[in-house]
Amino acid sequence: MTARSVHAKQNVAPSLVHWRFWVVVGVILLVFAGLTLRAAYIQVIDPDMLIEQGDNRSLRTRNMPVHRGIITDRNGEQLAVSVPVQAIWADPKTVHSADALSDNRRWQALAEVLGMNVQTLRDKVADPSRRFVYIERQVSPAMADYVEQLDIPGVYLRDESRRYYPSGEVSAQLIGFTDVDDKGLEGIERLYDDWLTGTPGKRKIRRDGKGRQVEILEEEKGEAPHNLQLTIDQRVQAIAYKELKKAVQYYKATSGSAVVADVNTGEVLALVNSPSFNPNNRQDVSPHRVRNRAITDAFEPGSSVKPLAVLSALEFGTVETDSVVDTSPGWMRLGGSRVYDSRNYGELTLTEIIQKSSNMGTSKLALSVPKSFILDLYYEMGLMSDSGSNLLGESSGIFHERSRWSDFELSTLSFGYGLSVTTMQLARLYTILGNGGIKRPLQVIKSETAITGERVLSEENARAVLEMMESVTQEGGSGTKARVPGYRVAGKTGTSRKAVAGGYGEEYVNIFAGVAPVSNPQLAVVVLINEPRGELYYAGDTAAPVFGSIMTGALQLLNVPPDNRRVSSLAVNAQVEVLDGAE
Amino acid sequence: MLRTKLEPNKQSLLNKIHIDGYLLLGLLALMGVGLVTIYAAGGQDWHLIQRQLIRLGVAMAVMLTLAQIPPMAYQRLSIYFYVVGVLMLVGVLAFGVVGKGAQRWLDLGVFRFQPSEIMKLAVPMMVAWYIARFNLPPRTYHIFVGFVLVSVPTLLIAKQPDLGTSLLIASSGIFVLFLAGMRWKLIGIIAGLGSAFVPIMWFYLMQDYQKQRVITFMNPESDPLGAGYHIIQSKIAIGSGGLEGKGWLQGTQSQLEFLPERHTDFIFAVFSEEFGLIGVLGLLAIYAFIITRGLLIAMRAQEAYTKLLAGSITLTFFVYVFVNMGMVSGILPVVGVPLPLVSYGGTSMVTLLAGFGILMAISTQKRLLSR
Repeated sequence: MTARSVHAKQNVAPSLVHWRFWVVVGVILLVFAGLTLRAAYIQVIDPDMLIEQGDNRSLRTRNMPVHRGIITDRNGEQLAVSVPVQAIWADPKTVHSADALSDNRRWQALAEVLGMNVQTLRDKVADPSRRFVYIERQVSPAMADYVEQLDIPGVYLRDESRRYYPSGEVSAQLIGFTDVDDKGLEGIERLYDDWLTGTPGKRKIRRDGKGRQVEILEEEKGEAPHNLQLTIDQRVQAIAYKELKKAVQYYKATSGSAVVADVNTGEVLALVNSPSFNPNNRQDVSPHRVRNRAITDAFEPGSSVKPLAVLSALEFGTVETDSVVDTSPGWMRLGGSRVYDSRNYGELTLTEIIQKSSNMGTSKLALSVPKSFILDLYYEMGLMSDSGSNLLGESSGIFHERSRWSDFELSTLSFGYGLSVTTMQLARLYTILGNGGIKRPLQVIKSETAITGERVLSEENARAVLEMMESVTQEGGSGTKARVPGYRVAGKTGTSRKAVAGGYGEEYVNIFAGVAPVSNPQLAVVVLINEPRGELYYAGDTAAPVFGSIMTGALQLLNVPPDNRRVSSLAVNAQVEVLDGAE
Repeated sequence: MLRTKLEPNKQSLLNKIHIDGYLLLGLLALMGVGLVTIYAAGGQDWHLIQRQLIRLGVAMAVMLTLAQIPPMAYQRLSIYFYVVGVLMLVGVLAFGVVGKGAQRWLDLGVFRFQPSEIMKLAVPMMVAWYIARFNLPPRTYHIFVGFVLVSVPTLLIAKQPDLGTSLLIASSGIFVLFLAGMRWKLIGIIAGLGSAFVPIMWFYLMQDYQKQRVITFMNPESDPLGAGYHIIQSKIAIGSGGLEGKGWLQGTQSQLEFLPERHTDFIFAVFSEEFGLIGVLGLLAIYAFIITRGLLIAMRAQEAYTKLLAGSITLTFFVYVFVNMGMVSGILPVVGVPLPLVSYGGTSMVTLLAGFGILMAISTQKRLLSR
């Protein structure tokens, strides 16, 4: 070293410095190799996550907004419509960065128009790290306008729609309702949610860092939302609801249901329940009001299914229409149990059995045919399956499939105990009686094609039993209050005790089911009054008059020609005479 | 290399006008890559390209001019350069113009001027001049003086604050000392002192935003919407390029403005996304070519001063590349260092090409001086 330092100052020892240079070259090579490895790692060995992240930042699937379809009744009357409203939302980050909170006057104004406490409102936007907070949903255009005028930085509006139900509580359970995001929650709204919303169009887009749409990568044409037409006739529905509601209040009943169906098509014209609720304002609605009891709640039908016992005997051939059944002494012992009438009726015609609602009569008739035959008939009449309406939550009643039915059980079956049915099932049964023995599913949704039914009874016998059932509303029958001026009405009362644990309690179910006009049946109506707690608790006193009012209104609205000349009402008489003149 | 046969002719022709053909080739290739990428990163804005072309023209002119000056002249001027530079740095601290949160500019009436850029060349020149006056390898005392010469401007610039530039300047001076043959034992001691300096830097010299950058570097996901955003976005951009890249103008992250600073400091991310790993390898090859050429020039230089200066200029260029690529690919913290000759931007480009001008002077004028 010292030897070298003697050299002239510009004469550098090349070997030493060159060695240093090679170290440097080595380090540089290492670093470049490191950079290459790093790039290779990010780009080739492990890029999937990063590519995905990149797509996450730039690819978006956007749903094109749709307005939910309208639900109308059979005549085009609107039952559920969507109205455009606005949502007020805030971007707290912008609110904070624009220092908007310092202007309390405008927040005060916003709080006032929304009926909100100003502190609650300020708390909503208090967290500056959030980017989206709803302040209020579904505000009216007028209110939205006001908010726009306020022009608070970071507070914005966005379009949405609100469902409005013009018919209010009348059809509330049937139509159901949607949630705040326009998704069907109950009833038809839920059942036909996809149909009503359609499939929203989807757009896969690439967006830039500022959220602007750059290109459309894929576009999926959505299916447009559809409107939905029901078989319901809103006018009939309104009458049915009005009468039912009045009755439920008057008879102090727990609830009531009514169904009106067209016997020839199976179309349901009205389906109502009381108590109901206002679907346009569902705050504090107790769930029992929301339930569509006509399809969910099953009751023992009592005497209202008695015509089936007569029918089974006629169909099997053990009796003729003019046969007489001896019901004396008014009671009989079957196994260990007793079947009895309220008094000894003696010999009764088939018509009288129905009119007097004789348990002895129906039991004897039911026991006169093979067990499997009567059970099959019950099955054919739709008592073991739902009504075919496809409504959500529809019950198919309770009908135990037993290999062996005792005689007593069969006899109770003949007067409507030991099985449970819904109002809807009963309505279907009466459409079969009314249309001469053809079974069709009950429909709630209007369809273009008529459903061809399936014959389950001979027309002759169905017809005969219907004529017999007319006696119920005639002098001496249990359902005289179900009469409709100008029309012949066939029906049957059903007053059953409600089953409670260990037997039957003190609560009653009152049913009146019937068909009119008898000469050319058009409508089947079933009215069910559940647990009347007033002084009247026989179906003939409660359900029958409701039936009468509903049937009267429905027949008149549908312009069904009267078929009863033997009426006392002068007004109806005059109408009949005019019709006679026309004939 | 295929070109070896052509070399004598070309060399002699270019030598007359003091241009190093290999360096020029590499630099032009880099500038080409830069323009292509700036076009993509800047939203296909011709104005950007035009402005960059003007800057490149000015910088090239500076480079070619400096290449004509004999290296001896640099050696003589070193000390004046350095002194004037330090005085200007003091001036910046005293009455500099504040821009982008830092006091880096001197307003000379006509134009704004960043004295720290001069120091990028003045410091290695000064240290090389000082060390080359004595016999090599240098004594510990000389090394110590060399360090003082390095630290004065480094600290002044760090105070502006401009951490990236001060680190580049410090390394350019230290490279001179290293190449001069500083003993390994001393290197160890300096490294130890350097690490002891880190806490001092952290608590006294670094600004909050710089500390934040380091914290973010350690764990970018800790603040993905704030400071970590740059790093995460740039890694995503690089990664989504894959092996072959998405193609020119097809990069989503960069084209769609997800990537910040995409035509300046983070241009490497744009390049990587659009040209993939293959492109990155190509770019690294160009840089390696230029650096190799620079080191060859240094090795062939016959004087201590030119050898040290050439080596330092080349290594500083390398540090630029490494720091920028390292920060964009997430292995180094974010410091504001552009990708040399590719990033859009003016001042550093002139300084860089001025350095290459000196390199060319050293490469082409050695015979005139030594023989």
